[in-house]
Amino acid sequence: MRVPTSWLPPRAAPAAFVTAAALVPAALVPGPVRAETDPVPPSREYHAYVCAESEDEVALIRFGPSGIELLKTITVGSFPAEIEGPHGINISAGGRHWYVSIAHGTPFGSIHKYETGTDEWLGDVKVGMFPATLDIAATTGLLFVVNSDFYGDHVPSTISVVETSSMTEIAQLATGTMPHGARLSRDGRKLYSVNMMDDELVEVDALRFEVRRRLKLGAKPGASAAHGDHGDHQTAASHGGAHAGGAVEPSWVTPPTADGLLYITALSGNAIYEIDTGEWKVTRRFDTPAGPYNAAVGPDERLLVVTYKKSDSIGFWDLEAGSEVARLATTRRIPHGVAITSDGRFSLVTVEGIGGEPGVVEVYDNGALRRVARIDIGKQAGGIALWEAN
Amino acid sequence: MIMNRTCPPLRLALLVAFVLSVALPLAAQEPAEPAAVEDEQADETAADGEEQADETEAEEEEKPPIPPGAELEVSPTELTLEVGDKATLTASVVGDDGETIEGVDIVFFSRNRRRLGVNPAGELEAHGPGEVTVIALVPKEVEDEPRRAEALLRVEVEVTIPNPPVESVEIVDLPGAFYAGTHLPLHARVVDITDVVRDNVDVTYSSSDTGVAAPDGFGGLDLVAPGQTTLTATAEDASYQVEIAVAPNPTERLEVTASADNARTGDVVRFEAVGLDRDGDAVDDLPIRFLVAGTPSARILAPGAAAQIEQDGAFVAERSGIYTVTAVAGNHSASHPVRITPRHVNKDIEFVGQGKVSDRRTSDLWVWEGTDGNDYAITGTWGAEGHAYVWDVTNPESIVLIDAVRVDARTVNDVKVSEDGRVAVISREGASNRKNGFVVLDVSEPQVGVRILSRFDDQLRGGVHNVFIHDEHVYALSNGRRFDVISIEDPTQPYRVGRFELETPGHSIHDVWVVDGVAFTSNWDDGVVAIDVGGAGMGGAPNNPVQLGSYAYPSGWNHAAYPYRSESTGKFYVFAGDEAFPYGELGRDPRAAPPRAAGWIHVISWDDWENPREVARYQVPEAGTHNLWIEDDIMYVAYYNGGLRVVDVSGELRGDLYRQGREIGMFMPFDPDALVPNAPFVWGPQPYKEHIFFSDWHSGLWAVRLKDPDDPNRIIGEPH
Repeated sequence: MRVPTSWLPPRAAPAAFVTAAALVPAALVPGPVRAETDPVPPSREYHAYVCAESEDEVALIRFGPSGIELLKTITVGSFPAEIEGPHGINISAGGRHWYVSIAHGTPFGSIHKYETGTDEWLGDVKVGMFPATLDIAATTGLLFVVNSDFYGDHVPSTISVVETSSMTEIAQLATGTMPHGARLSRDGRKLYSVNMMDDELVEVDALRFEVRRRLKLGAKPGASAAHGDHGDHQTAASHGGAHAGGAVEPSWVTPPTADGLLYITALSGNAIYEIDTGEWKVTRRFDTPAGPYNAAVGPDERLLVVTYKKSDSIGFWDLEAGSEVARLATTRRIPHGVAITSDGRFSLVTVEGIGGEPGVVEVYDNGALRRVARIDIGKQAGGIALWEAN
Repeated sequence: MIMNRTCPPLRLALLVAFVLSVALPLAAQEPAEPAAVEDEQADETAADGEEQADETEAEEEEKPPIPPGAELEVSPTELTLEVGDKATLTASVVGDDGETIEGVDIVFFSRNRRRLGVNPAGELEAHGPGEVTVIALVPKEVEDEPRRAEALLRVEVEVTIPNPPVESVEIVDLPGAFYAGTHLPLHARVVDITDVVRDNVDVTYSSSDTGVAAPDGFGGLDLVAPGQTTLTATAEDASYQVEIAVAPNPTERLEVTASADNARTGDVVRFEAVGLDRDGDAVDDLPIRFLVAGTPSARILAPGAAAQIEQDGAFVAERSGIYTVTAVAGNHSASHPVRITPRHVNKDIEFVGQGKVSDRRTSDLWVWEGTDGNDYAITGTWGAEGHAYVWDVTNPESIVLIDAVRVDARTVNDVKVSEDGRVAVISREGASNRKNGFVVLDVSEPQVGVRILSRFDDQLRGGVHNVFIHDEHVYALSNGRRFDVISIEDPTQPYRVGRFELETPGHSIHDVWVVDGVAFTSNWDDGVVAIDVGGAGMGGAPNNPVQLGSYAYPSGWNHAAYPYRSESTGKFYVFAGDEAFPYGELGRDPRAAPPRAAGWIHVISWDDWENPREVARYQVPEAGTHNLWIEDDIMYVAYYNGGLRVVDVSGELRGDLYRQGREIGMFMPFDPDALVPNAPFVWGPQPYKEHIFFSDWHSGLWAVRLKDPDDPNRIIGEPH
């Protein structure tokens, strides 16, 4: 199926935007959209692998001059009669392999390895409870995946380290309660992850496989002290066993920039934290609409795109100014993942949808700050990884 | 794990720092402790909105460039360690000029850390036997070749860890008396120095006087003549000796009796044999072996193995014919014939009606008599929009969809209705808000409409795969880890009263079924577990589940369990069903053929909670089981690709029920308009009144019934 791209979609619809803006205090309403241009069609093609968590599928999509297209779907998992939940996905340096975390097992989840292009299954390895976000070090070939254990008793969980050539779990280190988000430094020596139920950032020595530093993230004054459950997009309902700290619930961390800055989304804290890894402290905190969940930094390290899971919208942030320059409603509910193309021109956003609705991949022009394409995929679109085919 | 090849003092300091930080044994097997934990001050500061590091960053070292042609040298490149041994790998990066490059990070890891640990200094410790590869690698720099995610340099070290030496061997289960002319099987218990009981060690037996007793070379002992001898078992360097006294065999004759002279295929005939001395008294501890030979019916060509007898005297035949069971004890033997006739239980299964669902997959079903006297069924949906469908099945020839309930879920995997027919519970998986749990429905007036009474998701948010209702309680699986017990005495306000979770490593529960106050759970590798929830008299209650016993089998495929007391024998069985898809096909594409399943029904005799025993199987070759139901000594099995199977499970059960001709009938629900056309994938059966209802993944709800064969003399294939 190919969906032609409309290059002149309505600008961020005022009504929709007002609706979203009305959810946040007036002081937080962003300034004027600083769209620099009208959308310009892409001059090249982009490919992305996208998880459909409630379909047990990975979709390969292509976005380019002729629109957006679903090239194929790859059924993943091991049990045809059980939904196993592909959640996180990533592609190794050079683009030769893609890896997907399968959340559910008996009881442990697993990581599966495929060859890009052919999408041939190459192997798998059992890891911990509900593996989610994963990243692969270009400098060692080691894969790190957080065992989020979303539905357990909120006890400390682990990060698994996998040797990808043999698909062997070589280490599992305890990091904290409900680890989520996992991004490596470019040199593959440090891994950053956040513990949703501990409200902390963790730096892992990715060569020694041990926690190196922790940073507690404080809630803004007046925030609810109770944690919601993962993905609870309706309310931060209290949960038995929630810790006594503030409700930050960090859900994602971006890879460090060249200046060593990380950006963390606070799902319940409704904020973005900027962390200086050199100083190891929070340098800025930006208030957001409800439920910032995933984020991606553009290659110029000025643009930050954030999915607002509880607000059904995405935000474009100017990191230099520290301000949100645009907020656009998604076409369905529960935006989830985001990836920015290597040339910085487009953001690809996944939207889970509700119930039997298809999941969606939406494409936004980062210059025009408009949605320029969308395509339905399987139910509950989640993890997304751009494949820069060589 | 990494070793930094710096000058020795710094290396030592790093090692000490590592050991102190992880506070773990050298092996650092499972999961490492956090390097540090935030302190109170950090927490308070954070609460004030001024985040602060709880540790200072370690000094970053400038890494030396590694020139082209450099090599990673690791010594030794292979070695052998005994369990418990330690050794150290030395590693260095050497340039093509032969000079060692200092300050290079070298990472070590083991491909099997449970057998062999390695720390950042390259120190090894062997924990268990096996062949283990240790990797040493040097990361590349980010500017290096980016087209592959791999290290710059890498060396593999092969480590052999032999099995630990045997500590002891013992001959066990010897009888109380030894009689000349008889034969004994010998059993040995071997334990190694790590206290592991081993079954992979060769044990040899010898006798000090082979004229009295001689090992037969196959693990048995021929008792040759009266006298004394020392029997020795040897395993590696360990040995065990026992004196045995072989007595004259007082047996004058053997007597064999059978519980029946005529039986059908599949019937268990009990044989008993006793040795009698010259006074006609039974000889104690006489080892008697049963053998069977026979002649299958002449109409059966190339019959294969046609009958079996177990050493407890249970005989069962798969083919009709005349068999002779012989008891042997030394030079004495006695035989008894038995005539076996075909079982002749086959019936036809005819289609009655269908509630077609062809736009989505159908999961489980429940059929019940409503408070208005009509008959109803509820079915779930799988991987769709969270619907449960309610059907009027009063006239199975005309199944009518009368209501549909939609909840926030992608899969309603299980549906159950209370004993009084007033309340239904449906499970939720894939809820948009990830809360899942279950939903309680009022089904007391289906013709008026089904309405939601309550939702319960507290601590059930990971998804409820299966539920059961028993005595105003819902037994609901939580995230595949345990079952929770929730009172629905007031169905509008459910509340938790108890839970049960195994403590085995990596446990995972898949199903629960409750009968007479005993819950039977199905737990993959952990098999079937019986739990007293109020009916076993062992102190259990819904708020205090007490484990009674368990039975696991090697495949680890245990998916369902149906407890059943045989009406014909009074014996208590649990029929444990597998679920497995071992062929690597996922087959969810509606345009393609469905995946193929494997697995069978394991029949477990369980009259004593502590001594379950697997005695029989029902296995359809080339197909695999899903859910099952047993009533009136008839088993109904949803056999996925193998359709619906109906099986006679009357009488005592032994051996291979499929081959014994116990299958009454089968039905393949071909439907050209199904989600996947003409591709049976039967999910769950339920006999109800005069019909059999079942759900099919691709085509919805079906009703069929058994009927006598149109031509009882018609034989498809060969008779049994």
